[in-house]
Amino acid sequence: MKKKGSAGVAVVSPKKTRKYVIKYKSFYIMFIPVILFTLVFHYLPLFGLGYAFTEFRGIKDPEFIGLENFTRMFSSQGFLNAFGNTLKLSIVKLILNTGLAVIISLMLNEIKSLKFKKTTQTIIYLPHFMSWVVTASVFTLILSPSQEGLVNALLVNLGILDKGQEIYFLGSKKWWTPMFYVINMWKDTGWGTIIFLATLSGISPELYEAATMDGAGRWAQMRFITMPALANTIITVLILNLAKVMNLFESVFVLQNTAVIQQADVLQTYIYTQTFNSGALPNYGYTTAVGVVKSLVGCVLVLLCNYLSKKVRGRGII
Amino acid sequence: MRKRKLMCAFMATTMVASTMLAGCSNDKSSNNGTEANATQGSGTTASGTEGTDDNKAGSDVEKPEKITVMVDGTVVTKENGQAEFEKKWEELTGIDIEIIQPDHSAYYDVLGQTFAGGDWPDVVLLGSTYYAGYANEGALWDMTEAWENSELKASGRINNEELIDSLYLDGKLYGFSPARGNGCVTYVKKAWLDNVGLDAPTNYEEYLEMLDKFTNGDPDGNGIDGDTYGVSAAGLIGTEAPYVNYLPEFYQDAYSSFYQKEDGTWADGFTEDSMKEALTRLKEAYEAGYIDKETLTNKTSDCRTKFYEDKFGVFTYWAGTWATNLKTNLANNDRDDELVALEPIAELGNYLERQAPVWAITSKCENPEGVFKYFIESMLDGGDMQTLWTYGAEGTHWSTKAETILGVTYEEGQFHMLENLEKPGTAYTKNHIDPLLSIADFIDDKDPGIDQIAEEARESAEMFIENSTLVVTVPSTDVMSQYNGDLTTLKNSIIADVVTQGVSIEDAYARFEKEGGADWSQAIVDSLNELNK
Repeated sequence: MKKKGSAGVAVVSPKKTRKYVIKYKSFYIMFIPVILFTLVFHYLPLFGLGYAFTEFRGIKDPEFIGLENFTRMFSSQGFLNAFGNTLKLSIVKLILNTGLAVIISLMLNEIKSLKFKKTTQTIIYLPHFMSWVVTASVFTLILSPSQEGLVNALLVNLGILDKGQEIYFLGSKKWWTPMFYVINMWKDTGWGTIIFLATLSGISPELYEAATMDGAGRWAQMRFITMPALANTIITVLILNLAKVMNLFESVFVLQNTAVIQQADVLQTYIYTQTFNSGALPNYGYTTAVGVVKSLVGCVLVLLCNYLSKKVRGRGII
Repeated sequence: MRKRKLMCAFMATTMVASTMLAGCSNDKSSNNGTEANATQGSGTTASGTEGTDDNKAGSDVEKPEKITVMVDGTVVTKENGQAEFEKKWEELTGIDIEIIQPDHSAYYDVLGQTFAGGDWPDVVLLGSTYYAGYANEGALWDMTEAWENSELKASGRINNEELIDSLYLDGKLYGFSPARGNGCVTYVKKAWLDNVGLDAPTNYEEYLEMLDKFTNGDPDGNGIDGDTYGVSAAGLIGTEAPYVNYLPEFYQDAYSSFYQKEDGTWADGFTEDSMKEALTRLKEAYEAGYIDKETLTNKTSDCRTKFYEDKFGVFTYWAGTWATNLKTNLANNDRDDELVALEPIAELGNYLERQAPVWAITSKCENPEGVFKYFIESMLDGGDMQTLWTYGAEGTHWSTKAETILGVTYEEGQFHMLENLEKPGTAYTKNHIDPLLSIADFIDDKDPGIDQIAEEARESAEMFIENSTLVVTVPSTDVMSQYNGDLTTLKNSIIADVVTQGVSIEDAYARFEKEGGADWSQAIVDSLNELNK
């Protein structure tokens, strides 16, 4: 009989622990790279947080300047703009991608032909494996404001646009943001369906059979069986991804241009510009300060997600 | 040291860069030297293996045992026979060389991490944007005295000493460029001019008339009016100095960044009326369809492809070797390949020459005098070493053997470039130094490869040299590094707003004021003028 501590957790004697570790030593050895990776790339960099309070150009020793970097940051229109864009683009993208993934999962789940279903799944997963650089090039071509751009050619041929009035989707303040969402949905929705399809396949067929016998149609079955079964997964996916919204970079970086910078500059691209395109040696102290704020906001979002998770599912995610 | 290593790890993970802690052993030297002096101001380049005891010939400079060099992709890459280049270099000097060559596009990223890591190479290659900054931070060795007393300077072979003079910062020289920075000239398709019945334009009015005919007429002769346009560029404004060089006929005398006036004071060209006039010209031309609608999202490779496919007829691109590349690719696409390299139109006056990247010795180098002499000075020795830096290694990059290369047969003794190892089907054109842009002549003008340079490349380079103005290096100040990132983003956004989004000049400049651009600009100008005091 194991002893129990004050918190009700089983207390194992050191001798037993040693035995346990020796018994499963191969697992512990396999875990070493993971530990090392985490330490080197996640914990060690934390020592650099102090640079946020310095002026440091990578050559001379850092010079302590207190909160000057933060003062400058919060008075910079560029930073505030990037901060707002990060939240807006990420959260809307998350909601759209998740929503569409649920819809497509439900549709796929209704397909009876296994062959057709598998083929469709494979096709919609494929864009996920394309690099963002390739994706941006493909969409730049498709959305080209000329008769060579598929979308504009279609709009002109359908009589929606006049020739010569083609829309510069990626170079227009009005159109860039919707296009960004569309491209993201095209690329990642298919991949997002995997988890929902797994949940759907776990719903007992007996529930549907019983519902059919009670006279429930397809819509009623979806409303009263499928959706409640999916709800927990949808919420889990949403809150897990909410914690990552501050990390938006590559998809924006490859699609942005100078005309849409007010709509497309996000914190990561802002840091990149400040570091590499400032026309002078970068102040790593300032970019670290921006990174610290980004991480703090990310941390708050994680805690918020944990709180929401506890509320919704009865247990947290951390 | 530990702190710096931690910093390096921190930056590598928080920034986008994928490469971190680029290793660079720094085994510098003391020297001994049984090898020959590599720099021969007077003439022959000694071979390291043939040398005797002349390692201190003419000076007290100690010969390094090893030199570590960090360089971008402008020196032959590993895939293109860098090992042979190194072997030949070591043979000529008797010094061990270690070349650290990160991916070209990530060069300054890796360089920054390397400096932050504290393990500095002896020599680095720096673009104009970074040169002043690193010098200002004390990272570069002051080579003023070494240059002033060098055999190279006294050799009489320097043909462009003004270039070196332009690299002085506050009276001191921290970097050396063996060649001019080159710049862009405007190429026009000759057949298109003929088809629309025009001569090469000499002023803005004629230039616009040409663009109009190229946009609304049938310059490519396919029987369809209006299926082409005048000019294209990768962006409305460049990302590095001289910024305005891809659409020079529109910018004319306007400059979007900081420049030094004739009286020596600094100004921000973006705030001047000339920039507002330039934006008006660009806006009108864009709205008229003369400028490629996709300019904002074009990459330079997109522009080149469109040019080869006869989608537009006027392309401002690099002078020299690129004239040949453009011509060759047009021919490969079954298009008429004759191009006219336009002399600057009257309103433009001169093309802008970019500041060349410089070779700089880091302040941690233990034997900077030796590195200057045996690495930097020797680069322009007028003999074997200059040939190596200009054309590469014999047998790998060039040859004088009787043979047929890419369908062309050469006689014994005839200098010719060999087939590119990385891009089969094309020949090498040069190594690091462009023979047309070198600031030092070969001894007795015996450049071994000069005859194989294509005529159009030579002509465009000569025309550019005769009609260009060098952009002066802007010193780096703390205020500049604090504000210039935000300022540049704002300026570029305003240019795009005016030209492509229909925003008026007044509204655009009101935004410039409102978002702090005017204040940042003035603060930077003040900090630059402060340096003059």
